[in-house]
Amino acid sequence: MTRAAGWAALALVCLLAPIPGAAQSTGVVSGTVTDTSGAPIAHVRVSAAGAAGVVGVSDVAGRYRLGPLAPGRVVLRFERLAYRAALDSVTVPAADSLELNVTLHAGRFALVPVVVTAAKRSQLLDQAVTSVALVTDSDLARRAVNTVDEAVNKAPGVLFLNGQVNIRGSSGFVEGVGSRVLLLVDGVPANEGDRGGIDWDMVPLDVAERVEVVKGAGSSLYGSAALGGIINVLTRDIPVGLHGRARATGGAYANPPNDLWRFRESTGGLGGLDVTGSYGSDLVRGSLTLGGRHSDGYREQDRSDQWEVAGKTAWIPAPGTRVTGSGSWTSHQYQVSSPWCEHGRCNDRGLAFQPFRIDVNDTGAYTRSDKGYLTAIVERSASARFAWQARGSWLRTHFTSVHPTAGAVANRLGTELRATARPGEGDARALTLGVEGARSDVTSDLFGSHAQHELAAYGEGEARTGPARLSAGARLDARALDGAGFDAVLSPRVGVVLPTAAGTWRLSAGRGFRAPSLAERFVSTTAFGLRVIPNPGLQSETAWAFELGDATPLGSWGRLDAALFWTEARRLIEPTFSTDSFGVPRIQFQNVARARLRGLDLSLAAAPAIPGLTTTLGYTFLDARDLASDSVLAFRPKHLVTLGADYAWRALTVGADFRYVSRIERIILATNWANDPRVATQALDLRAGWRRGPLLARLLVANALNYIYNLTPGTLEPVRTVSVILTWTY
Amino acid sequence: METAVKLTAPARGLIIARMPSRVSCVALVAGAAALACNDGLRPTPQATTCPAGFRGICGTVTFRGAVPDSTQAVFVVAFATFPRSLSELFTFQPRVPTPLPLGGASALYTDTLPDGRYEWVVAVWEKQGVLTPQTAPTLLAEAGFFRDSSDTTKRGVVVVNGTGTDHVDFVIDFTNRHPVCTYFPPCP
Repeated sequence: MTRAAGWAALALVCLLAPIPGAAQSTGVVSGTVTDTSGAPIAHVRVSAAGAAGVVGVSDVAGRYRLGPLAPGRVVLRFERLAYRAALDSVTVPAADSLELNVTLHAGRFALVPVVVTAAKRSQLLDQAVTSVALVTDSDLARRAVNTVDEAVNKAPGVLFLNGQVNIRGSSGFVEGVGSRVLLLVDGVPANEGDRGGIDWDMVPLDVAERVEVVKGAGSSLYGSAALGGIINVLTRDIPVGLHGRARATGGAYANPPNDLWRFRESTGGLGGLDVTGSYGSDLVRGSLTLGGRHSDGYREQDRSDQWEVAGKTAWIPAPGTRVTGSGSWTSHQYQVSSPWCEHGRCNDRGLAFQPFRIDVNDTGAYTRSDKGYLTAIVERSASARFAWQARGSWLRTHFTSVHPTAGAVANRLGTELRATARPGEGDARALTLGVEGARSDVTSDLFGSHAQHELAAYGEGEARTGPARLSAGARLDARALDGAGFDAVLSPRVGVVLPTAAGTWRLSAGRGFRAPSLAERFVSTTAFGLRVIPNPGLQSETAWAFELGDATPLGSWGRLDAALFWTEARRLIEPTFSTDSFGVPRIQFQNVARARLRGLDLSLAAAPAIPGLTTTLGYTFLDARDLASDSVLAFRPKHLVTLGADYAWRALTVGADFRYVSRIERIILATNWANDPRVATQALDLRAGWRRGPLLARLLVANALNYIYNLTPGTLEPVRTVSVILTWTY
Repeated sequence: METAVKLTAPARGLIIARMPSRVSCVALVAGAAALACNDGLRPTPQATTCPAGFRGICGTVTFRGAVPDSTQAVFVVAFATFPRSLSELFTFQPRVPTPLPLGGASALYTDTLPDGRYEWVVAVWEKQGVLTPQTAPTLLAEAGFFRDSSDTTKRGVVVVNGTGTDHVDFVIDFTNRHPVCTYFPPCP
């Protein structure tokens, strides 16, 4: 089906292509503009000396077309903000076209990108009062990853524990339940309505353009779940004209490095195909993405199949007015492979554990997980000083598990009205006000049937006083469960940003909170042979978060961002072992812990003296204490280091990422604590890319040294995986 | 989508802003590679003694008889004192016991325990079903216990004192199970 769609798109492209011969005596120059990593650059202005009025602009695929040009020698100039201008001379043929591909190098200026998440409005990165990490479209392309979580996982200070995202150690690991990080898709909340977790496969990577990671409490603008941070996945805008993109992936998993761990005779493979087509005019625009992927998995009983569709439309009835509709649907069917087999629970070959094999009692465990969202957004910029936005959204998740049999259908309906005013001169002042409502419901044999209603109002103002920018705001969240059990939480935040000769300093203090998910309140099941019982009386967990940061340009070759953070958490919701009145042990989510998470977050991006070389360094030191029991907080590693380097030479790029995670000192929820063989994470990824015209080929060797490790009990992290990704862009 | 950028003036010279050399870049990559060459998990033979740093008891249980089809799980747990009533039946340690592997003729078990004296180390056979205080007398049964080496008719005493106490070995006899109600009659 997808192959047929690809041929149909190709045929359409051929039919709609301009008919040559319109200007027989002139010529045309066309080609692609890329950066040193091979990523296309949009909005590059192309002009020809002596040909006044003949100007071209590159599109999102980096393609430009300049003409008509008089035949003969001509000097072309390629210019874009933040890049060094490039000059090239060509001989324009008469009545013909010429292809010229150009690579632009970053200019000798420190760039300050615009972010839209930290203050719920657009602002320059160095005006945000909290730390923001960016995963740009260049990062996404260069790393050649397949899912959004793989892309986010390399951001400084971010660590995934078996799919559960942690920003500066926020969430720990609770089997994906109750994330303390809020996921947004184009600014719309997308955490599950029942478990409060995140379905990372809900948004196809192919529609993501960039990701903003806001660190620290963000509840003053976003409410529940933004206790530890916010991840905003921003999808691609739809360009004018007809465009297409196809991305094919194929690869293989390495076999276990030791024969005692072998579990199959053949080599496991993976593959996938995503096809996107879009058309845009000044009035309406639309895009559609279809995709599918298969993986044999790298462990026993680890196959997965996924199908996805995503679409986006935009209507621009007047300048400054835009109506956007978007949505996606993903069906993911996968075998459940964890936990691994411990001695005596499979053909263990005399070993204490077999990390590639499963417990024979878990044979046949399988889950089908369908999920999707629909969003409609109306935006209006009435003037340079006032804009408003209204949106509605529907998020639906549905999973069915076999062995053990379980299922749940959950919905989350949300709506928001927001206005931003910028009174006064320039950007001296800004005020954001909004109201937000949501309804979540679940029907499940694990959680029962319940509904929760939320209503919130928020506001934040910012004013420039001398060189400093001061901001203050708060949000009031009210919540009603099953028509009763009303509660309310106030989340204020204050911050200041001060540019100095020693960089731009930022200081903030804010309150974060997370309301218990319906699953945490009402779960009723068995785990580890024990009953897991509901706790309808759970209260919201809260935290005060403080941050002092400084962003410093390092000459003309780099940028250093350092932040000290300190979070005091109260009433944390954790799974707890307790006994009933008769003494029978059981598990229940309870408000028990007081915790303190503090540390240092460093991020360095540099382009050293070697032309074409760029490097990055991220380091997070985390001191996480459970104050109630005076012990290390579970599932929080102390050190997290990410190193990256990329080198570009003409159309060829090579690069590497190295990730070090210190050994996790304390775990909970393990069935056999004494036999837990955790080690530190030391994973090296290698990559290479080559571009020719619209075709981009990438080679990715993830975990190149086939380092065998786990982060959560009994769950093996991926082995060496070799992938080839071919991307064709029109 | 906003993609604008702002230009800022190049920074004045900072001490930490020295341009890194080619050598330091190569050293950085080499250092990362060297770190990554370190060992990860490796095949580990099944231990026969308590692991290093472990606090609790370890031992080998030898199985006798066929595992009943109705088996939910078998655990080894420890009581500080022999339970005197049904209400004390759930005062065992560890609070979340690890089910024993039942595939072979014997199995090594490890129970994480706080320091102290334990008068009854016992194998508990659990029948399939939902365990509650009401169902416990019929779902749980004793299937063997650690015995005093000088008088095997008596229960053996185990002491945990900051480390692992090894060789708390005994037999689990599936053909000779004693339901909880045997200890706390009447039986239904």
